[in-house]
Amino acid sequence: MNTTALEKIQAAFPEATCKVVLDSVVVDVQPENLESTLSRLKHEPGLNCGMMLDVTAIDYLDFPKPQETRFYVVYTLRNWEENILVQVRTPVNDPEAGIPTATHLWSSAIFGEREVYDQYGIHFQNHPDLRRILNHWQFVGHPLRKDYPIEKGQICYETDSLEKEIRARLAKKGVDAATLKDINTEVMYLNIGPSHPATHGAIRILTALDGETILANVNEIGYLHRGFEKTAENRTYNQVIPLTDRLNYCSSMMNNIAYAKAVESWMGVEITERAKFMRVVLTEFYRVLDHLVCLAAALVDMGGLTNYWYLYNEKEAAYDLISRLTGARLTSTFTRIGGMYRDFYEGWEEDLEFHLRGIEKGFGDALKLVDTNRIVHDRTQGVCVLSAETALSYGLTGPTLRASGIPFDLRKDAPYYNYESFDFEVPVGTNGDVYDRFMIRFYEMEQSIRIIRQAMKYIPKGSVNVKDSQVSLPSKDRVYSNIEGLANHFKLIFEGVKVPLGEWYDSFEAANGELGFHFVSDGSGTPYKLKVRPPCFYIMGGFHKMVEGNMIADAVINLSCINIIGGELDR
Amino acid sequence: MSTELIFSAVALIGIAALIPCFMIATTVLGPRSKGKMKNEAYESGVGPVIGTVDQKFSVKFYLLAILFLIFDIETVFMYPWAVSVRELGWFGFTEMVVFMLLLLTGLIYILKKGVLNWR
Amino acid sequence: MALGLESSLGDTVITTKLDEVINWGRQYSLWPFVYGTACCAIEFMSAAASQHDISRFGAEVVRFSPRQADLLLVCGTISYKQAPVLKRIYEQMPDPKWVVAMGACASSGGIYDNYCTVQGIHTIIPVDIFISGCPPRPEAVLDALIKIQDQIKGESVLKDRHKDFKGIFD
Repeated sequence: MNTTALEKIQAAFPEATCKVVLDSVVVDVQPENLESTLSRLKHEPGLNCGMMLDVTAIDYLDFPKPQETRFYVVYTLRNWEENILVQVRTPVNDPEAGIPTATHLWSSAIFGEREVYDQYGIHFQNHPDLRRILNHWQFVGHPLRKDYPIEKGQICYETDSLEKEIRARLAKKGVDAATLKDINTEVMYLNIGPSHPATHGAIRILTALDGETILANVNEIGYLHRGFEKTAENRTYNQVIPLTDRLNYCSSMMNNIAYAKAVESWMGVEITERAKFMRVVLTEFYRVLDHLVCLAAALVDMGGLTNYWYLYNEKEAAYDLISRLTGARLTSTFTRIGGMYRDFYEGWEEDLEFHLRGIEKGFGDALKLVDTNRIVHDRTQGVCVLSAETALSYGLTGPTLRASGIPFDLRKDAPYYNYESFDFEVPVGTNGDVYDRFMIRFYEMEQSIRIIRQAMKYIPKGSVNVKDSQVSLPSKDRVYSNIEGLANHFKLIFEGVKVPLGEWYDSFEAANGELGFHFVSDGSGTPYKLKVRPPCFYIMGGFHKMVEGNMIADAVINLSCINIIGGELDR
Repeated sequence: MSTELIFSAVALIGIAALIPCFMIATTVLGPRSKGKMKNEAYESGVGPVIGTVDQKFSVKFYLLAILFLIFDIETVFMYPWAVSVRELGWFGFTEMVVFMLLLLTGLIYILKKGVLNWR
Repeated sequence: MALGLESSLGDTVITTKLDEVINWGRQYSLWPFVYGTACCAIEFMSAAASQHDISRFGAEVVRFSPRQADLLLVCGTISYKQAPVLKRIYEQMPDPKWVVAMGACASSGGIYDNYCTVQGIHTIIPVDIFISGCPPRPEAVLDALIKIQDQIKGESVLKDRHKDFKGIFD
């Protein structure tokens, strides 16, 4: 599949060096050709990369193999129709002067490049709003650079007032003194701030209102920035798994599985069939749980509190299964590189079936209350509409993209773990309004339960961990009885699983969209760089487009139905 | 004097005396907190935000409040009428119908003018 | 402190009886303000749900405005960007107020010992109870609530609890 993509791209860019890395084609270009390369990748009919998934930078200061410049910027693009994944790498000679921006091609670059500027200090020329996004505005320095000490914290004495940004946004929307005189009032600024029940976490939404209609909206995120990426650079590959748990903490095991899949696919470790089926069952189960929480919270925001009990109680009941299986309720850390922590327990099928029936009853009840409910329809249909082109341009993925009408699902378009042999459908919306984003999760839950039942029927017997001494820990009796077992255990724990040198990107269909991991490995047991491509981050980038022109109440239900999880948004 | 009157007078004076007692008790016994941001307006953890308290609001909030007041007072007038509707007979009934029709024409007027359309 | 109470009444039986009544009222009707940022907030939601009922302890009135709450439950990691917000919310709560640091991140920074995480909210505001766990089980939250109730039982109207606290913003 990728050799054709490689030929196509090499033919289109004969002067650039292209190579295939896992599923993607990596194109190395010089900074002067960057803009033309990106523009051709987007617009040329054969290439047509409509989505910019991620942009990140790499600091090669401590890298064992010397590189030509210290900083490189990598753009990850996707052509979702033909499933072509392209990564464009370019060296940055001077971070202060920087490289030209890509915001005129893809709007997802607005947030993405801000993050690169914040963490690495690389300027993007002609970026409309280049300021910090994850760290606070009084922060000095760029934390992800290799020469920034990890323990050096900086106190922020006051929150940013964002006055300049909201006035600029108002001016951009064309609201000036003349319009204000016409509507016979003044613009009122309302801050739906970081400490607010409607924001489900710590997000700051600053709105400029005319009565109740939102004229302009500026969002501030980064209140839960916990330094996942810098912390991961000091941990072994297996020690990063508890950190991944806390990314999207509502569906924590999906992050574990996505991370383990990313590392294993580069190492070339083929996990056992039983492990693959186990991961599919758990992925889909956690997808159901994530959608349950999202819908419960969304319905509470709309005023339908009963549904919260119908849906959340099922999630609470599922904790019984999860705590029996993994030992913890919420953050499980269940996968390991090369397999899982342990196998399913005896009798798991009956427990799982019992919980699935409870979940079906729960969301059946909630759906009955919501499906033909006039109030829900009036409040959500035609509200906060996002068209398909805007959604693609802002890099939305997952249920929110499918609600806007784009039938892109990694489980169907780029399948892994035997998803091509499961029989399930992918629900797709039509209008891209709140109703679509909201109802699509009900139908996705139904399909996920179908997949779980099929996987439960066909799961083979066998071990869950791969029998490779460089990857999986040896059994405890070998560790305690013989010296090779002990040494093997010691090396795997202290130095970590050794991953070959290189850079790669791997993606996974998580509950919110495409969860991607971009790794740079220096051949040791700790990652040199680990970047998460969080689905929520880019959805939040498009939030102001969805909300401007609607009322505050619509903004609140919109925020709840796009399922922003703070841990994943801010990492 | 009738027992009901004495009882209601005692209850009224008792409540009127009790409430200030509670307020004085909490003022005297309650702790005071310190902090430089204590008296600022609560704006979800951030502040002070742009704009002042005495700026102009959109007029539709005022319109809705006035309309609510009018129809609420209409309902308030209907309560004592409803209690004594039998004693008042047909005369009282027609009076109330006339009252309601007058306000109904007002309601039709505002519907036609589109005031109840919230945008 | 209250208006000159200790000079007029002193440490007599009146104040101890008054203490009993007031503390009884306060401990069984705590109104929590859930300052939930991360995963611990989900576990608090479970604690407030019907299986591990928090309303048996009188604390089911969860208020989202600091002006109406008296128990500040910090659930989740506090970053340096979030710290001024937390300080402001704490100061805007009226006295008497208690603070519970729920989870490892609020107590000590948790597994995130880096440039952006506050290593324990006791550096910003005075904390009464720390709950450990990542995330702590709902039963641990209920245990902390019971401990706060016991602590309130032993308080006195005469004493000012946090006179000399100095955090990084003071």
